[in-house]
Amino acid sequence: MARVKEPRKTLEMIQIPNTPAPELLASAALETATKNGATVAQFRLAKHDMRGVSLRDGDVENIGSESNVALSVRVVHSGAWGFAATTELTLQGAVDTAVRAIAVAKISAQVAADEVILADEPVHGKKSWTLPIEIDAFGKSDSEIIEFLQNWNRKISTSSIVSHIESNIGMGRDETFYADLVGNEIFQQRDRISAALTAIHVSDSGFEDMRTCAPPAGRGWEYLTGTGWDWETEIERIPEYLDEKVKSPSVKPGAWDLVIDPTNLWLTIHESIGHATELDRALGYEANYAGTSFATIDKLGNFKYGSPIMNVTGDRNSAHGLSTVGYDDEGVASQQWDLIKDGILVGYQTDRSIASKIGMDRSNGCAFADSALHSPIQRMPNVSLQPGSEDLTTKDLISNVESGIYIVGDKSWSIDMQRFNFQFTGQRFHEIKNGEIVGQLKDVAYQSKTPDFWASMRQLGGKNTYLLGGALNCGKGQPGQVAPVSHGCPSATFTKVNVLNTRDESAK
Amino acid sequence: MSEISLPDAVEVALELLGKDGGVVIGGNSATNNLRWANSTLTTNGDSIDQTLSISAFVSVTGGVATGMSSGQIRSRADVEALVNASKASALSAGPAPDAMELVRGPIDKNFSEPALDLDVSEISHISAGLSEVFSNRAQEFFGYAEQSLDTTYVGTSSGTRMRYSERTSRFELCAKSSDRRRSAWSGQGGTSLKDVDVQKHLLDVSQKLDIQLHQVDTAPGRHRVTLSPSAVSDLLIYMLWSSAARDAAEGRSAFSNVKGGTRVGEKLSDRKLTLATDPRIKGIETFDHVVNLGSSALGSAFDTGLEIGRSEIISDGVLTGLGSSRHAALEAKLPFTPLTDNISLVDSSGDGTLADLASRMGEGLLVTCLWYIREVDPQNLLLTGLTRDGVYVVSGGEIIGSTNNFRFNESPIDMLSRVIDAGETVPCLPREWADWFSRAQVAPLTIEGFNLSTKSDAV
Repeated sequence: MARVKEPRKTLEMIQIPNTPAPELLASAALETATKNGATVAQFRLAKHDMRGVSLRDGDVENIGSESNVALSVRVVHSGAWGFAATTELTLQGAVDTAVRAIAVAKISAQVAADEVILADEPVHGKKSWTLPIEIDAFGKSDSEIIEFLQNWNRKISTSSIVSHIESNIGMGRDETFYADLVGNEIFQQRDRISAALTAIHVSDSGFEDMRTCAPPAGRGWEYLTGTGWDWETEIERIPEYLDEKVKSPSVKPGAWDLVIDPTNLWLTIHESIGHATELDRALGYEANYAGTSFATIDKLGNFKYGSPIMNVTGDRNSAHGLSTVGYDDEGVASQQWDLIKDGILVGYQTDRSIASKIGMDRSNGCAFADSALHSPIQRMPNVSLQPGSEDLTTKDLISNVESGIYIVGDKSWSIDMQRFNFQFTGQRFHEIKNGEIVGQLKDVAYQSKTPDFWASMRQLGGKNTYLLGGALNCGKGQPGQVAPVSHGCPSATFTKVNVLNTRDESAK
Repeated sequence: MSEISLPDAVEVALELLGKDGGVVIGGNSATNNLRWANSTLTTNGDSIDQTLSISAFVSVTGGVATGMSSGQIRSRADVEALVNASKASALSAGPAPDAMELVRGPIDKNFSEPALDLDVSEISHISAGLSEVFSNRAQEFFGYAEQSLDTTYVGTSSGTRMRYSERTSRFELCAKSSDRRRSAWSGQGGTSLKDVDVQKHLLDVSQKLDIQLHQVDTAPGRHRVTLSPSAVSDLLIYMLWSSAARDAAEGRSAFSNVKGGTRVGEKLSDRKLTLATDPRIKGIETFDHVVNLGSSALGSAFDTGLEIGRSEIISDGVLTGLGSSRHAALEAKLPFTPLTDNISLVDSSGDGTLADLASRMGEGLLVTCLWYIREVDPQNLLLTGLTRDGVYVVSGGEIIGSTNNFRFNESPIDMLSRVIDAGETVPCLPREWADWFSRAQVAPLTIEGFNLSTKSDAV
């Protein structure tokens, strides 16, 4: 079919040269789906842009960009889902994809035991939403980005403790258009940015490394120049942190009180709360791959997840959140809700079809696909531990610990398939004696069982300690999908957590 | 349809790259998949993705710089945009440390032929088999089947024109008792779903669930353990990914010699174990030439077009090679060792099946598969992770029941020194890494003192 050029509508945001307007592609797909008997039809056009630069010892190791765009059609026909996608952005491509989606649904209906029913959602009509940023990182030239990174390298390259330096900057932009049979036409755009610097010390007794703790964020270039993170101070202190770590004693394994910094605790929240409160996991949909959850639906409203000071929310609207969006990939408006209230499990993360399975009137908007080539599944919103009512500082928390470890920065992580047994390491482990930090320890891993760990949380830092951590690489689903997600939390104190010595754990 | 075919786009890009040249890769990926949970199909779909990726080489003061770009192409203008983006990145990058002369690789006569189509009937046969699986109401079934066909066009400014197609398939069946207190898994990797016998996998998981009716509580600690080929492959794949010669030579890897240089030449096991990647191993064949867009500790765009043969990392228990680009090999003063997309572990005296190995073990635990494997300490390559979907208790050479799951903390390098028995090498599906790495033929191993560090209550 010949290309059709139509005047752009005011909401249009995706710029793809020589292709029909998103609304026209959507109309072609949705009309075809309707004619072929679909009771639900959802059209998505998604463009994903990425840029990245990595340096190894000051030299550019890789520099490049990637741009992917595709359209997809998801339908319900005969009570079953059908999904198809293509990179052919023509009206014929949209029509053919709708026909393929219907065919897939018909095949599924022959084997599927459950009818797909979607929880209701108000019609939002024509909308647009953009994640606010101050400086467009994609507007920076390659040479500006390289020079910026090399300047970071120069700050520490003369230190005698630093043998090697790795550093990188990455950025991403999602532009999407969603349309469905009930009249939604939603354009959205969101940006994210990440950076890291790792210093490595090599000697005749082995090697150690130290990495910056800054999380990726839903921000623009301003993030790298001091808005939201003090890069200058952190990078300048990396050699000092590394030197202290190299000279530090190995930890004595056993039960330790831990003060965990938000730069580490966000990942523990992600693994032990974020994934555990995904309703699709609780229902068994991920049993073959990512796993299930101990937080099954019979526990909703009565299970003691942690101590009474534990309050955890899910949201898709935190400022600068990596999961923040205006509307999810089923047209559900972003919300905030309780997952854990006063230590009790009170909520889940849902998309529209699984929300209806447990009788929820409305989905809380967690449908997400990492590209138009993949079907939306229930993915994690920003899941955050709320700060304490008293505005305690991290120093206050440390001062209340007689003997313990203050853990900063994330590193290694692993958790079992029902989200019980976890083990984490970190970047820095500061020993606490009589309420004071006395130096670093090394070879530390903390290991626990989720409900035991959260039950041991005895004190929370206040708003002044709250930080939005996060990751770009949360994996789930088959075929595998990757999602960015943020987790806010304060510093927090945990009592008598099992600490392993990682050297003892190895056989040597 | 796109106005320009992938092979034509490769040619156009090379022409636009000009005299400094570069590497251009056109990829057509077709995929079908079926997914099921709670004994019903959940999501399934099919997709076709076409991508052009460019690594531009640009002469700069002091050498040659590289820059990359990648995206879908619908017209010559899209190709021009990608070339311009990659050149712009290269111009900013400064000389690449790994720059070397591109070789003139093969010139395939079928370079311009279109990409191959997937045979949908192969996945239909899985769908038909599942109907019978789901009719078993005593258990709940979960799983995934996928087949993909990737056709890749590789052109370089040195004249290389390679076209190759790779089929990849995987089938996974997980069964749980209705109370979800027992769970078993069976998987099969390969190049075609045609070879998958759904009933055979159903029988396998059903038998495993029956064994799990007898549960024995086992305390954590160091145990004699027989690892299935899938479990062994997951540990050794991570070791393979960590085997970069450059990192070792720089003193920043578990394969570094703290007195300088690398551990190449060191005996890692008393067993005659040989760990290799080899694109010509029957059943797990993979492309036999280097195709790299960028640089890493294990590869370089400048090596694109070089032939890959058999690369042994461990030979008869001795560390004999570390993965490298040509440049990294020169720097490390080691032979050029390009790794490819498969793994083989053979014990020359390995004998019998996994069941035989478990029987010979006498007393110990039989581990079906591993999950959530992550690096804890790079200095000794200490890895952590979980056992999953079946840990069986062996007593008097007989499987007498199953036990709880564990978190393990083990280094695959150190583990090799504690191998006390091995079976015959067989095809397997790496449970943890199958999304990225599914071509494996590995021997099951019995390990003395495997560190099952803590207990997991997960099922």
